[in-house]
Formats: sequence, C-alpha cells, structure tokens
Amino acid sequence: MSTKTETPVKKKNQKKIQCFWSWVIGSVILRLIIIYFPKNLNLSSRPEVSTPLTSIRRLAEGYWLKQSSMSPYAGSMYHGSPLLLTLLGPLTVKRIEGQPDHLLCSLVFVIADVVTAMLICAAGKKLQAAYSSSLQSIGLHHLSEDSDILPSGDFAALLYLWNPFTIVACVGLSTSAIENLMVVVTLYGACARLAPLAAFGWVMATHLSLYPAILIIPVILLFGYGPDAPPRKLFRQRTNLEVDDSASGDRSCLEDELVNEKRMLNVFSWRPVVLFLFWALLWSSYVLVLCGIYVQQHSGLQEMFKSTYGFILTIQDLSPNIGVFWYFFAEVFDFFRSFFLIVFHGNILLMILPLALRLNHRPCFLAFVYIVLSSMLKSYPSVGDSALYLGLLGLFAYELKDMQFSFFLFSGYVGVSLLSPVMHNLWIWRGTGNANFYFATAIGYACLQIILVVESVSAMLNHDRMITKLTTAKLQNVKS
Amino acid sequence: MPGSANSMLSTQHVSHANKFINDLTHSDIESHKTVAQYMSALDAEVTYHKFYPQLNQFHPLHFFTSSDSGIISKNISCSSLGINVAGIIRAPRGDGKEAIVLVTPYNPKKVGPGEALSLGIAYSVFSLLSRVTWLAKDVIWLVADSQYGEYSAVSAWLREYQAPVFHEAEIVNSETCNDSIAISELGQNPYSDRNSYGGFRRAGTMAAALVIKVDEQGNHHEDSLNIYPEASNGQMPNLDLINIVNYLGVHKTGFRIKVKKMFSLLGSRWLNTLGGIFESLGQIARSLNPQWKFGISATEYVEGAATLASSMYSQGLGVPTGSHGAFRDYQVDAITLKISPKDSPTKMIRRNDFILRGGRLIEGVIRSINNLLEKFHQSFFLYLLSSSSKYVSVGVYMIPFALLVAPLPIVAASLHADASKSTLQSTYSSEVEVSHKSWKWLNSARKVLVIHLWGAVVSLLPYFLYQIPNSTPTTNFTVWGILSAFSLIILYFILGSPIFEAAPSQPEKGEWASLKSVTISTAFIGLSLMSVINFATAEIGALLIVPICLMARPLKLDAQARSWRALLRATCNLALGFIAFPPVAYFLVKGAFEDFNGTNVGDYWNWVESLWTWNSATYLYVGIVHLPCWALCIHILFHPC
Repeated sequence: MSTKTETPVKKKNQKKIQCFWSWVIGSVILRLIIIYFPKNLNLSSRPEVSTPLTSIRRLAEGYWLKQSSMSPYAGSMYHGSPLLLTLLGPLTVKRIEGQPDHLLCSLVFVIADVVTAMLICAAGKKLQAAYSSSLQSIGLHHLSEDSDILPSGDFAALLYLWNPFTIVACVGLSTSAIENLMVVVTLYGACARLAPLAAFGWVMATHLSLYPAILIIPVILLFGYGPDAPPRKLFRQRTNLEVDDSASGDRSCLEDELVNEKRMLNVFSWRPVVLFLFWALLWSSYVLVLCGIYVQQHSGLQEMFKSTYGFILTIQDLSPNIGVFWYFFAEVFDFFRSFFLIVFHGNILLMILPLALRLNHRPCFLAFVYIVLSSMLKSYPSVGDSALYLGLLGLFAYELKDMQFSFFLFSGYVGVSLLSPVMHNLWIWRGTGNANFYFATAIGYACLQIILVVESVSAMLNHDRMITKLTTAKLQNVKS
Repeated sequence: MPGSANSMLSTQHVSHANKFINDLTHSDIESHKTVAQYMSALDAEVTYHKFYPQLNQFHPLHFFTSSDSGIISKNISCSSLGINVAGIIRAPRGDGKEAIVLVTPYNPKKVGPGEALSLGIAYSVFSLLSRVTWLAKDVIWLVADSQYGEYSAVSAWLREYQAPVFHEAEIVNSETCNDSIAISELGQNPYSDRNSYGGFRRAGTMAAALVIKVDEQGNHHEDSLNIYPEASNGQMPNLDLINIVNYLGVHKTGFRIKVKKMFSLLGSRWLNTLGGIFESLGQIARSLNPQWKFGISATEYVEGAATLASSMYSQGLGVPTGSHGAFRDYQVDAITLKISPKDSPTKMIRRNDFILRGGRLIEGVIRSINNLLEKFHQSFFLYLLSSSSKYVSVGVYMIPFALLVAPLPIVAASLHADASKSTLQSTYSSEVEVSHKSWKWLNSARKVLVIHLWGAVVSLLPYFLYQIPNSTPTTNFTVWGILSAFSLIILYFILGSPIFEAAPSQPEKGEWASLKSVTISTAFIGLSLMSVINFATAEIGALLIVPICLMARPLKLDAQARSWRALLRATCNLALGFIAFPPVAYFLVKGAFEDFNGTNVGDYWNWVESLWTWNSATYLYVGIVHLPCWALCIHILFHPC
C-alpha cells in the first residue's frame, strides 16, 4: 500500500541493492520506534489486529494456564497451537525493567517479518529468472528484457515490509507474522524445489491457521510443472516448429534452449511431488507427536483439535472483526447454523478446482489467489492476512502492470482502513453508532478484496492472451 | 409523560435552601465543610474527592487512545489540591445499579451569588429527594471545586468514578498534605460523623447528568434558561434529555428556554430578506391551497438560522461548551442548564420564588429520568438544534453534505481515466518504454502522501513550540509558520531529489490531471471520515475545500487560453485559493461575524491552542486533511505544465 516502496527502476544493479537494504533497515527502525510507544497506540487490543487466534494476550493467558498445570485450552481463551506456546510463551512473561512489555515478543515478530520479506525476495528472484528464460525459449526476447527491468522480488519484499498493515500487525503483536512466515516458507521452498522446506512450511502453516491447507494444490503444481510460465501449449507449438526447422537451423545455438524447453515441456514430474508428500507426512507426524507430548496431561490431542480447528470451523467467537462472518452468525437462527457453516466454508472449497484448472501453468499466482480468497473468507481475518497477499501481489508486478482499477483499489483500501476504526469507535466507545456502521466497512473491505482478486486474475489472463498473440504472430512470420 | 406528576417541592424546602445559601456565603468555616454538613444532615452519604488539577495539554498521540492516562505533573504542592464534595442518596426503591448526577460547580475561595443560588437550587431538590418514596435511581450531587476550571474538576471526579487508577490514590491521600487533618476535624463534627466516608463512594451507572448554573448578571427581560448540550468533538446528548427540559421549562415552570445563537446573524440584512422571501412564498402557497403549511415567518426563519449556525459552529469547534462535556466521554448524557434570572442574584427580591421555580424544573427532569426503564433510545444523538424545540436530524443534514462531496469521486474518476488514456497513447507511440499505464498514478500518489506527511508534521509542531517558555501568541504563530514553510522546502528537496524520481524528471502533459485526481480522492476520503467523526467540521470544511478542489487548474493553461471563461476561472481559483488558507479563512469568518478591529495573528494561535488542548478532531482535520489539500491545489494552480 505504501507508495514509498517504489524502487528505482532504471538503476545499476549495485545501487539498487544498496537502496534495497537501506529501505529494509528503515522499515526495521520504524517498527522499533513504534514498539516504544505501545501504551499510546494500544494496537494489540484492536479488533483489526488481534483476532481470537492471533492475539498475544490470549497466548499469554494460555501460557499462564499451562504453567499452573492446567490445560492451555481451558476457559476458551487460547485457540492457537501448543508449539507457539512453547516458542512465545516464555517471552510473554519475561519483562525487562524500563522497557515496554512484550519487548522480546515484538522483536521476534520483527525478525519474522524481515525473514518473510527476504524469502519473498529470494522467491521473486527465482520466479523472475525462470519466467524470463521461459519467455526466451518461446522466442519473446524483448518481453523477457522488459520483465528483467522491474526487480519484482525486491519490490515485493519492500511492499511487504512497508505495508502499513504489516507494520500494524507486527507492532500489534499479532502472531499472524509467524503464520505469514510459514506460508512464505512454503512458497519459497516450492520455488527453490526444496521438498523438505516446502513440506515443513506447509505443515506448520496448516497447523497454525488451517486455511493454508489448500496451498497443497499450488505447491504440488510447482513441484510438478516448475514455476510460473506462459501457457504450455505455446511451448508445444514452438517445439513443433523447431522440430520442423531443426534440419535447416543451426543446431549449436539452439542446443541449450532445447534442453530448457524439455524441462518446460515435461508433463507432470512425479518424483518431487512424491518427495514433498513424503516429507509432509513426516513433518506432520512429527508436529503431532510434539503437540501430543505437550498436551498429553490434559485430555490429549482431541481437545487440541477441538479448540483450534474446531474453533475455526464452528465460529464460536462472534466478537466483531473485519470479516463478514461474525455479524451473520450472530443473526442466524440456531437451527440453520450448521447449514450456513457448511455453505460459508464451502465457498472457499468451491473455487479451488476451477482456479486450479485455469491457472495451472502459474502455480505461484494460483497460490496468491488462494491466499486472497482464504483471507477474505476465513472466520477470523485480520490485517496481517491482507499484508501477506498484498506483499505477494508485488511478485507479479510485471504481469499485472496493466491491471485495471488499481487507483480505485488503492483509495478504497486507504479509505476503508481509516473508516473502520472510526466506525468501531462510534459503535463501542461513543455509543452513537451501532453494529451496522462497523459491519458496513467490513462489507466494503470484502468487496475491495473481491475486486482485487477478480481484476488481478483477469489481468493475468490478459497477459497470457497477449503472449499467445505475440507468439502466434511470430510463428506466422517464421512460417511465411 | 414528563411533568404529569405534581411537583412536590414546597416552600419549606426552599426556606431550608435559603438558610443553606446564607450559611455558605456568610460563615467563616471552609465552604466545602458547610456543604458536607448540610448533605449529611439529609442522610446522604458524603465523600470528599481530592484531585490535582489536570492541565490541559497537547498530547499528539492521545487522540486515538482511551482517556485513561492521568498525567499529573510532579511538582504540584498541596495548596493546589481541589476538593469535590459528593453526596449520594440511595434510592429506597432501586437496586443501586443506576444513578442520576446533579453537578453544581462553585469556587470555594470566593462563592459568588450566582453560584450560591445554583447550590441553593440543587440543595432544595436534594433535600426533597432524600425524603421521597418514588426514587428508583440513586441521586449523586456533586459540588465541584471550580477554582481550577469546572471541567477539570468534573472530569477528575468522573475519572475516579469510572476508571480509578490505584497508585495515584496513594499520592493524593499521602500524609504530607494536611488534608487528612481536615477529614479528622470533620469526623469530630457532631453533624457528620454518621455519614462521612473516607474512601470514594459510588452509585450505579449514570443514566444522565445535569449541570446547574445561575448567571451572575441579571438584566434580562424575564427568567430564562440556556441549554448547552455540545460535548467534545461535536457529540450531543440524547435529544430526549433536551426535549424533557424544554417541555418542562415551557409548560410547567414558565422559563424561557434558549439555545445559543449567533447574534450577529440576527441583524444581517440578506438573511432577513431571504426570510421575507420564504414567508411570502409560504403565503402564496397557502393562498393556493390552505393545506400547504410550509411557510414560516421571517423572524422565525432568521432566529432558526442563527441558532443553527451557532449549533454548527460549537459542534464543529469540537470544544465542549461546559463541564457536561466530561460526561459524554463515558457515554453519559449530560447538559448544562444555565438559569439567567430577571434581576441580578445579589439584589434579588423574590429569591424564594426563583429557587422554587428552578427547583421544580430540576425535580421534574430528575423524576422523568428516574422513571425511565432503560436508557434513552439510542438513535437521537446526531442532530443540529435550530431552536430549543426544533432540530435537524441526521437524515436531513446528510443530504446536502452528500450532494456537496458527491462530485469529488466523479471528477477524480474522470480525470484519472483521461490521464491514463493520454499516457496510453504516448506509450504506444514509443514502444521502448515499459508501459505502466495503470500505475501512472503512483507518482502523484507519492507526492500527495508526502504533502500529507508534511501536514502531519505541521500539526505536531505546536507540541514542541509549546515547550518554549514566555512566548507570546504572535511570536509562536510566526515561528510556527516559518517552521512549516521550512519543512515544506525540505520535503520538496527530498521529493525532487533523483532518489525519488522514478520517472523521467520532466513534467508530463497530463501530470497535473493525475495529481488533481489523487488530491480530490484524498479530500473525499478525509471529508467522509470527518463527517462520521464530527459532522459540523466536515460540512464547514467541505464548503471551503470542495470548490477549490473542483476548480483547480494550472493558471498557465488558463492564461494561454485567453478567453473570458478561462480568465474568470483563473480569478476564481486565485480567490478561492486565498480564502481556503486556514488562517485567512479564520480571519474572514471572524471578521464576518464580529469585526476586524483588534484582531491580530496571535488570535489564530489562541484559537488553534484551544482546539488542541481539548483534543478536538477539528485540529487534526485542519492539519492533516485541509491544509495538505489546499497546498496541493495551490501546487496545481502554479503547475508548470
């Protein structure tokens, strides 16, 4: 969202990197400054930042319960993972004299943010290299030069770091920073074809917030087909052509390209996928064993599942947040409740298959779309989720350069994110408004997200069409 | 129905109150002890609440946070301790979960005749309420120590009541101050040993609060009652509270109910002419069809307009009009009732009659609130008063505002579409350049963001200027202006430096259009946001900023066009740009309603200071929305396109 993230486009590489690092350090300093005013800002109690799943206060409560040898899930306060308790719990009780409370926790979140940004940057570089080589292999050299100009990895990383949503979620001590880190670890691992890392990220992300489970489809596609590329039929046309021409053309310079193309053309490669699934199984059993050990004194894993996944799926906490579920389920009749639970959660599942079919040549973009959808339709959304997908949006800066309504979306996001706290204040503190005021902004926010996802997908498809048109024109030229 | 019960306040209560007033004004012992004695003689629970006066200070980060931060400067001596006295009557029929609050501010160092009279009225009602059987809500009578300002006294008591801070209580009650002696003295007093309590006593949730004051000056045509409803940031109490007071005042006790109005508007000729036109239109309509009754008389129209203007002004200022404002921060409906007697309180002949009438009004209001089963209905908070019995509701006043700001997004969209179209053509002509046609606005957005950051810096500057000792408002204002200009220049250089310049530095043809579209959309967002926080500010601000936002166009283009239309537009732009500059707008408004004599630039500083000491959102609006939008419009006017 921050317009400051614009990196200089036409600069020498070295200068660019220098600039990049100074921006990264600047964002860290900004976070540290804001951390020193926690009392004044009081962000950790905002409904936009801390949901029942991500609130640090609830985590501290869970840790306290555990320390006094009770189940951390007693009393419906904590609904996160036991592993987070062991990681962050000791930090919540540790106070340094003269320093703000939860200083250590906030440092952990700052580190998590920076690591996430670095991983986004690395994944972006890998994606970009793969994309420009695949553009070259279908013969669109000038496009591949164009795509090199904008360093989308750096751009996305800075977009993530300087996004006010990320900053607010980080300073507001929301554990969504760690969930985001795990999602990005998954994507990076899949882009770098590191099956154990990707499996670890996916298992942890699913364990922490359940919704990233649907990312298994893009990850499998990534392992199977390789990173984002133009539609696959273009390669087939191209190779057909080249097989025809191979006798006349000089083989030596095409040798290298052909090897590359074979990788592209390779239909689904099963080996890395199986490896990934194996590692996923391994990691998930490991995580389950660890959790089992942690909660074994208190009615075991069953309670854990009930109060983490069960809590997410049955939407027990109806306190207001920026999503649309709380209002609906506060109004709905009890005997319709389970029906609507199925309908609402089915919404996400319904869109998985068509999107996977249409975008299977762009698995990373597919993952982005899934993340937007799940952060829009999840039961307890927070601004941390938006921070993730807005950061990932930067990865596709080149492909989405012709996206429509970008200005409208920007103004909409600014307006809604300012209006929503005011409406909340009007309703809760002043008492002059009511729940409809706040819910109206939540609907506006959901609409913006819908527009964003629709426009980005259509821009991506237009980009594909453009590439198809260019290659066919080229092929016609070659043939004639 | 309010006022359907017969008033029970008798002359006996009034004569007691008279005795109380005499004791208060003539006795030698400290006045808060007298008050406490009288209260406990009525079987009320009496407590003292000691507080340090809290200086209103500008805390830039406190706008968005809860008001629980009690910041007390360390070096306050015991002599500056204020003492509030609170008496609580427990309701015989209630469960102690709700309470009604009566507040009478007074200065214990020098009890004025008006203050004594207001205390007398409250005492007469209080003595009645301690005996009645119908009371279902506890009644708290707070005698607020107003020597450091009545608002700070009331807000200190409310803070202690609603959000006590435990470590501060120890400071206040520390033995270093000899006030513990005062309490022990009181304990020896035969009157009060039963009902005086050391700690802070509470009743239930406050249903409503009434602040009672009596005007010191007389010289009015008749006894009248002024209602002051505005709390901080234009928040209003529930309309029903005003309705009750108005109904009882007019129909039961014969007070003339007044709401503040702008007297300078009453004599203005154009308003009277307009009123005359409306009156004649109404007469014509009635002659056509006797059923149509929308015409109002010219005087009524002018009075209504003056009241409406005053209501909008005091809401828009965001500064509470009295100590009732402190209650609204805790969602308690409260108004100040200022009774202006016909004769001056010092030489009042029929004092008993005055107390009786005032007391009956208060009794009726309290009885009405007492009989409420729940809170007032929630939806009547958003209104503007046009007389004590008439109001403009939110559904009506939102329409003109919506019409006023509706052009902004439309114009922004059309400008944006045009700008992206023109860049589209230019990029197709030169294919070498990477086309980012839909992201072209980012450049302008960056500029707008930087200017808004500058606005934030300008609004934070007074916080640092305030630390300078011994400075006059005029110098402060000058330093503020210079620093603002200086920071703008610095930001301009940062903005213009090659680090930020992503695109080629020469200004493009449609650049001002895209800049204008971003400016307009930020103005729209800011105005819509402000209309939710404080409608009156948004309305007044929209009147100033919307025309210049819509009209702004580079003067160079207009000068090149050399047509009458272009020249007219250029002059309009210059005039509007001059008017919309906040200090100029302030002085023009001041000049229009008062006069220019004796105004200097320091006045603006004082006005701004009053805004930020009350944490008014209007201050933030002027700093973060209005000023940057104005600066951007001026930038567009002088754009080298």
